[in-house]
Amino acid sequence: MTTEKTESTESTDEQRDELTFSMNRHDAGYRLDFEKNTDELHGRCPIAWNDTHGGYWYVSGNQELFDVARRADLLSNDADIHGERRGYQGISIPPPAIEERTTIGGFLEMDPPAQRYYRQALNPYLSPAAVQRWQPVLDELTRACLDEVIESGRIDFVDDLANIVPAVLTMGLLGFPMADWEIYCEPAHASVYTSPDDPDHARIQALSIQMGMRAFESIAEIKETPRPGLVDALIKADIGGTTPSDMDLIGVVMLLIGGGFDTTTALTAHSLEWLSEHPDQRERLSRERATLLDSATEEFLRYYTPAVGDGRTVSADAEIAGVRFREGERLWLSWAMANRDEKVFECPHDVQLDRTGNRHASFGLGIHRCIGSNVARAAFKTMVTHVMDRMPDFVCDPAGAVHYDTTGVINGMKHLPATFTPGKRLGPGLEETIAAVQKACDEQGLAEPVTRKRDTASL
Amino acid sequence: MKVSVDDNLCQGHTLCAMAAAKVFVLSDEDGHSQPIASEVPVDQEDAAREAARSCPEQAITLS
Repeated sequence: MTTEKTESTESTDEQRDELTFSMNRHDAGYRLDFEKNTDELHGRCPIAWNDTHGGYWYVSGNQELFDVARRADLLSNDADIHGERRGYQGISIPPPAIEERTTIGGFLEMDPPAQRYYRQALNPYLSPAAVQRWQPVLDELTRACLDEVIESGRIDFVDDLANIVPAVLTMGLLGFPMADWEIYCEPAHASVYTSPDDPDHARIQALSIQMGMRAFESIAEIKETPRPGLVDALIKADIGGTTPSDMDLIGVVMLLIGGGFDTTTALTAHSLEWLSEHPDQRERLSRERATLLDSATEEFLRYYTPAVGDGRTVSADAEIAGVRFREGERLWLSWAMANRDEKVFECPHDVQLDRTGNRHASFGLGIHRCIGSNVARAAFKTMVTHVMDRMPDFVCDPAGAVHYDTTGVINGMKHLPATFTPGKRLGPGLEETIAAVQKACDEQGLAEPVTRKRDTASL
Repeated sequence: MKVSVDDNLCQGHTLCAMAAAKVFVLSDEDGHSQPIASEVPVDQEDAAREAARSCPEQAITLS
């Protein structure tokens, strides 16, 4: 990374030059030099101009992020793939090739008012009270995942646990068949970490197409024979007097799958790896979980920030925090770096399980803040708690841990093998458990909105 | 001590209810926060301060 500074001038172009640095977020160096780059940016230019990928503003300071991210009047998420508005390119930097885009990233690539209509339709399925109803499902799925490996003394925390529980739950929330989680699992994760020049790219693309086709089928089935869940809510959603098209629906479903699968997996894997490296802290967390689990969850969210940032397009000329932005410029909101700002977080590069006043930005800030934060927290806490109870002495194998090739979008892990003292099974395996949970979900209407159905699942 | 939550700012982060479960109640529907009572019980004042400090949107006012 290089930072250049010259004398301040009045010209917008020259201000941009003065704040210029180079950092390719998709290089391995982004992860490896993360703390050094973060400190340097915070010290010299908390809002900088990153001259890679066509050039874009890079907001890394906590206060600056807070001031910028919430300016819905100046920022657009619009992915205008048909060239009907101002040609904005959505939230990815660099953006996917426009000719390859048939769908947009659901309401994360829309602006209000449409964006707000979607969220209003989905909130009653994802609020704290709504998610609380699924707790017995989370417990049972986690129990089954651990039972599959408990007698062997070996687990891959990604493949055997953290990939599965959020995925099956997301299927349930959508109203999709829970057993379908496997069709979505590999493409949902691999499409995030496989770059277009990777030899595996064609295979992942083929899997993604299969996933999309299966989602289309399931949406059509729910249209034909309504069953409760997020998809039913979307089909019927009032988007300012119209209902979503099939392409809109698939975009939102893929957004919910991407958001529901990969992020919680990333958080859980990293946190378990940290707990393996800090056995005294793990024992303390297990012992004091009644008071410590909430703050520890927020701290892991801060420290490992699963979704590292989000792109925007500046929609009007403006000056914020002394920086002059021009309409049409691209901008990156670095949740991950803002979470390491020493002006806000004491010892920002340390994990402090009892950290208080933890104003992290890991779910984003502003009108696009993560709609699934309560699902993520519940799934994470359940998995970590069960692991601490049933595999209290687990040790991760650093040689087998595999990080994503690029962590420019999601700070994820592909594999995290560990060993532990074997234990006894407590119940049936995963396949049987998913079938039992599906039955309970159907009979008890678990995927109904909390406004219609308030009771917690009974399994 | 009095407490209020600005509903236009609240985004449903739910951190306030984690910090002060006896001061704030969350909407079932969207997780937005409201004070249980406008007057904070004396033994909850520290928790309420912590909640106000934790709020990512600075939507909580204590007076």
